[in-house]
Amino acid sequence: MKSEIDHLESKIHWGMVVDLDRCTGCEACVVACRAENNVPTAGEDQAARGRAIHWLRVERYWEGEFPEARVRFRPVLCQQCEAAPCEPVCPTFASYHNPEGLNAQVYNRCIGTRYCANACPYTVRFFNFYNPVWDKPLHLQLNPDVSVREVGVMEKCTFCVQRIKAAEIQAKAEKRELKDGEFNPACVQTCPPKALIFGNLNDPESEVSKLARSNRATVLLGELNTRPNVTYLERGSWSGEEGGPASAG
Amino acid sequence: MAQIFHPSTNTISRVSIYGAVFIIALGGYVAYRVNQASYFTDINEARQQPVPFSHKHHAAELGIDCRYCHTSVETSSFAGIPPTHTCMSCHSQIWVKSEMLEPVRESYATDKSIEWVRVNAVPDFVYFDHSIHVNKGIGCTTCHGPIGEMPITWRAHTLYMRWCIDCHKHPERYVRRREDVFKASYAPPSDQLALGRKLVKEYHIKSPREITDCYTCHR
Repeated sequence: MKSEIDHLESKIHWGMVVDLDRCTGCEACVVACRAENNVPTAGEDQAARGRAIHWLRVERYWEGEFPEARVRFRPVLCQQCEAAPCEPVCPTFASYHNPEGLNAQVYNRCIGTRYCANACPYTVRFFNFYNPVWDKPLHLQLNPDVSVREVGVMEKCTFCVQRIKAAEIQAKAEKRELKDGEFNPACVQTCPPKALIFGNLNDPESEVSKLARSNRATVLLGELNTRPNVTYLERGSWSGEEGGPASAG
Repeated sequence: MAQIFHPSTNTISRVSIYGAVFIIALGGYVAYRVNQASYFTDINEARQQPVPFSHKHHAAELGIDCRYCHTSVETSSFAGIPPTHTCMSCHSQIWVKSEMLEPVRESYATDKSIEWVRVNAVPDFVYFDHSIHVNKGIGCTTCHGPIGEMPITWRAHTLYMRWCIDCHKHPERYVRRREDVFKASYAPPSDQLALGRKLVKEYHIKSPREITDCYTCHR
């Protein structure tokens, strides 16, 4: 009998779809993520030294010259790769794959080698160069369901695992299955144009798995074969060049 | 020129070389015992409370259900510390002149909470949830010890991660029927393993691989 359950056989496999044709670049997701996950603010000096932490960022791509310019947006968060480059390099197994397809980061295990951040091609892992401080009364807004990371550990997007676990526990206590869209990570919940969709990829009927099969679907840096669990939807391929498929829309 | 080493050095070096294994083992044993000492783990150390509340009297002798005071244990991560109003639902009628209960009456009159001393606590980076344990057939006394025998409450287990993991790897050794969860004096049946295996299936308790996932408790 096979005792170990591979996450590919598990009932649940969390994934996200980012519809770039809907994204307006408003950065509401960035604000929501910061508030939900106790992400510290670096301040001007530290940010200038590259020590700012953003679990989720919105990248801007300019096309054309003024006045013909247009900008396209791409929210980038941890891609929760199936073949994650950050996982095998961690000497303490602080970065590992969990049975529900999440690329997990265990702060207590992390000793801050930063190998994972160096291995990550998406630059979505961040190191705590100092103990985070929240000026009063901002410390009162900290989310009690999320650990505050201390100096010397890596952190990154968790797909709001605290919300995942809370919903799973509630569903189990009520002896029922989780419903599609019952809960969402903070970024998904807040997105005004509904460009972000979250759900169970192993459920063929869930909205996220339907969208992930769409012919607009691509993955970020697909040539690296990291098999991300975040899928981007867009018309045509990305191209900064004029006349490319990107400008056709 | 005098000898640098005294002849006794020969004996000392022989003993320390041949005894190295025992010396290291003894050091390890001492470290383990210190680590397990109640001085550090707070096990079996009754905590002085503002009111000497007895779980033994209330839960075992009077048979008040755990949930009468710890109301949110089935629906929330936190079992709940009862407000003074809960105490006064009985003590406005009985023991109204008791000296011991003066802080309770004062709290009720001034609307200021009684400051209980916390007995069982896990670190801030551990997200323990009462509701899921209670709903999956883990009884109160499994973690909180023989609460029905505690005149003043003490911590019965280390609440170390190793102790948690032990049950998460072998839930069948500890799980009980849902109707027995809130029994203050519960002794596991002799066929605990057989019952446990049956209940693990019946209650859909996840496999050890899934419930020893770090994200189960750490977020």
